Amino acid sequence: MLFKKMLRDLAENKGAYIACSIIIIIGIMIFTSFTQVMGNLRLSQEAFYSEQNFADGFAQVQAMPLAEIKKLEDIRGIEEIQGRMVRDVKVLFPDREENVYLRLISIDPTQENPINGMELMKGIPLNERETNIWVDNKFYEANNLELNQEISIVASGKKRDLRVVGIGRSPEFIYALRTSSDLYPDPETFGIAFIPLEIMGTFFPEGAVVNDIVFTLRPGVSYEDVEEQLEPELKPYGLKRIFPRKDQTSHLLLTTELEGLESTATALPVVFLSIAGVILYLMLRRMIEQQRGQIGILKAFGYTQWEIMLHYLSYAVAVGITGGAIGGLLGIALSYPFTSLYQLFFNMPGLSSEFSPSYLLLGILLSLVFALIAGYQGCKGVLTLQPAEAMRPPAPPIAKRVWLERITFFWNMLSVQGMMAVRNIFRNKGRTIFVFLGMVFSFAVLGLTWSMNDLIQKMIFDQYEIVETYDVKVVLSSPLEEKKVLRELYHFPGVKKVEPLAEVPVTLKNKWHKKDVVLLGLPEDSSLYNILDKNYNEIKPPRTGLLLSERLAEVLEAKTGTRLQAESPMLASGEDRELEVVGIIPQYLGINAYMEIGAVQDFLGQEGLATSLIVSIDKEHIPHLQKEYRQSAAVENIDDKGERLEQTEEVMASFGSMIYIFALIGIIVSFAVIYNSSLITLSERGHELASMMVLGMTPAEVNSVITFEQWFIAVFAMIAGVPVSKLMLLGMSQATSNDVYTMPTTMTGSSLLIAVLVTAGSIWVAQQVAARKIRKLSLVKVLKSIE
Amino acid sequence: MKPIIVARNLAKYYQMGEVRVEALRGVDLELYNGELVVVLGPSGSGKSTLLNIIGGMDKASKGELYYEDIPLHEADDKELTFYRRNDVGFVFQFYNLIPNLTAYENINLSVQISKNPLSVEELLEKVGLSDRANHFPSQLSGGEQQRVALARALAKNPKMLLCDEPTGALDYRTSIDVLRILKDFCKGYGKTVVIITHNTAIARIANRIFYLKDGKLDRVENNDNPLPPEKVTW
Repeated sequence: MLFKKMLRDLAENKGAYIACSIIIIIGIMIFTSFTQVMGNLRLSQEAFYSEQNFADGFAQVQAMPLAEIKKLEDIRGIEEIQGRMVRDVKVLFPDREENVYLRLISIDPTQENPINGMELMKGIPLNERETNIWVDNKFYEANNLELNQEISIVASGKKRDLRVVGIGRSPEFIYALRTSSDLYPDPETFGIAFIPLEIMGTFFPEGAVVNDIVFTLRPGVSYEDVEEQLEPELKPYGLKRIFPRKDQTSHLLLTTELEGLESTATALPVVFLSIAGVILYLMLRRMIEQQRGQIGILKAFGYTQWEIMLHYLSYAVAVGITGGAIGGLLGIALSYPFTSLYQLFFNMPGLSSEFSPSYLLLGILLSLVFALIAGYQGCKGVLTLQPAEAMRPPAPPIAKRVWLERITFFWNMLSVQGMMAVRNIFRNKGRTIFVFLGMVFSFAVLGLTWSMNDLIQKMIFDQYEIVETYDVKVVLSSPLEEKKVLRELYHFPGVKKVEPLAEVPVTLKNKWHKKDVVLLGLPEDSSLYNILDKNYNEIKPPRTGLLLSERLAEVLEAKTGTRLQAESPMLASGEDRELEVVGIIPQYLGINAYMEIGAVQDFLGQEGLATSLIVSIDKEHIPHLQKEYRQSAAVENIDDKGERLEQTEEVMASFGSMIYIFALIGIIVSFAVIYNSSLITLSERGHELASMMVLGMTPAEVNSVITFEQWFIAVFAMIAGVPVSKLMLLGMSQATSNDVYTMPTTMTGSSLLIAVLVTAGSIWVAQQVAARKIRKLSLVKVLKSIE
Repeated sequence: MKPIIVARNLAKYYQMGEVRVEALRGVDLELYNGELVVVLGPSGSGKSTLLNIIGGMDKASKGELYYEDIPLHEADDKELTFYRRNDVGFVFQFYNLIPNLTAYENINLSVQISKNPLSVEELLEKVGLSDRANHFPSQLSGGEQQRVALARALAKNPKMLLCDEPTGALDYRTSIDVLRILKDFCKGYGKTVVIITHNTAIARIANRIFYLKDGKLDRVENNDNPLPPEKVTW
């Protein structure tokens, strides 16, 4: 019988219960989909790493004979160590304008389960005596290749034809970036190819030598111990960089993504379920107050307290299970497109979504727990009620003056509705706090969302439009005398300006902190690469000392004036040098140190050296330039900035949709909070509001009591939302920043303005929806009853 | 003299599930400026329904109702709101004060929306609550609360005051106070006052008495010598 009562009560207040369920549904949907996707990613990652023997450590050297690698196997802690030849080469696709690169990685076809081996998905094993390759599946698909097709590459200025005999994927390139300044994989212009070492050796003048080393560790061995032993062994061969798995680009980005997913999968559902919990709590408490009489009768009949309690808890259970089940099912459904989105970026086997009842069950359970806690808190008043007391109406609320009334200037400005509203705010402290927190959250999420949108734009714009103002960057295969190359390029048609650039791999050390970065040497009066401070004032590259990017300074714990130890494989003397930090600058893409180019040359002891050239050139001449130098042995590649910007913007556009999802979350939260607070107010104070209508107030005037209260809270919530949003942004920046990009943490004024407008808009809409209920208030019915 | 209210064949039906309840079954009446009318009748006779319809809180199912020649039976919600706002005052058995507004502020609430309001201080004086102006309803006795409600209804300076059992929850002494205020308002300002009650003794202060029975006006009695409220006993 009581079950029927519950269903009817639910139906009567369906608006409020539906709003509450929607919040639960969203929370559980996010939980289920994110947890499931995260689980899939994690499982696939682990399986892939172990099957393909993913390396624990990586090192890059100038050149090392293959035979020397064998000796390193004796180093304590190393399980396996293998040397490879790794080189990026240009691919010649007829009728393709843009640069396409293939990273050639040598492989010994006879080696069983090599470190970072490619999982062959289709095709045949490599023949060690033929110019055959395996390419990665993404590159293969993006460029519509076919098995046994030959593709042409340029290596050391010579055209070579490679036959594609297999396709596969490698754990080293799950997230395949060509350079660390790229943000997203672009399989159309960058791919991975495995090729027999002997064949690859014939492409390059130095022959089959190793320039890349990968190793795995024995169980229980720490990477640092091995690095300590390995480093001196590799130094004579021009060690460029040695780093653990956690710094490997693909692994780092996948891990960051997983961590991001994990925190989202925890934080967002908790926020949503808490909001739903508070709504449920307020509704149940209100209902129990209204149904005192009924409770008294039930108690008088002899129903036990627990039976009545269970009855009221069943409302919470019904909402919790419905919300959990619908949310769980939607979440599982959502995990399919979600997984496909990840498949676009992360190249792993086994990355597919399947229906798993355990996630659904987990979702329902989670929602149920929240609902029961909220429900119990809301219903426990039933327990203490005595039957006779229950049948009497509750004591009338005692009104009090509030401290704000002492500010007479403010108080006298208020209409009587305003006074009612302000007193209500203080009378219902719990509800006020709920509305306040809901608004703060909603505003902060909206502010964060739009700030991030602005900031990503800023990151890209600053880097490509203000900092790097050149059109083309010509990367040289090996360092050359700057004057010679400058002269040649100046005579190329359309070239307006050419500047030399020295990009030197260095290891910077400060106390126990250590970081491998690229030291950029720029001409002092460079107009094609501008170093800027926070206020966009141009800073000249220093002739003495170093400029560090903020993130680098943070990693090294360096300040202006800190003296850093610097070492580089390109140092002529081979010894560490000391460099002073003379300034710290913001840099959002990549991390670098900067110096005047002459100072870099002095530092290296290599007069006039340049590693690349940045060129300002008329757009229409770019293809000519590329054609002219594409096959030159001296040029490693020609980087068209416009192309890179275009690709980046394309990817950013697809991320724009994420913004709307977050915005939607903010809007739904503020709508639900306002709508429910209106409904609760309406049911609690229907009497008051009706008697105001009898006095001849219009529904709008009556509604203003409720809306004034909400706007009053909302104004303060939005003010409080600004620092909260900033905190969230800081947290977000700290969680997502890595060596590839650093998220700025300045809130933009326009994003705050949009947050104000969107929050206000959703409050207004919720109020309009709730206002319809006021118009339907039956004066006769309300006033007939005793308050 | 021209009537302020004219009702012709006023009827009200409620559909309660499958049963049709006829609360009013064709009532004809006129109300005049400055008169005090008492409506008597057993519970369920349709007294409150009649008052709610005259006051613009409810709509008749059938019949015609004119307020100073304005057809209220054709008025929409908005027009009825402004009719209540400008021309009618209501007093209920259970005061219906706003709990978190003081006596003064409760009265001010109605001053704020009227075109030609009376002074709040003067009204408080008149109902004898000048010294209670800053008290909240929960700090006032029933009789005091009803007097605030009266002052609130009068503050708008309406042409007509409609009272549904205004003394129903009060003791004898406070009831007489309330009735005296109503009578003063009627005589002093020349306003129409309608009082619904089942207390027949109260009828003796009226100019006319309407007897309602089964949703119909049974009879109308003229009282040429209404008693002052102090003289009424029960």
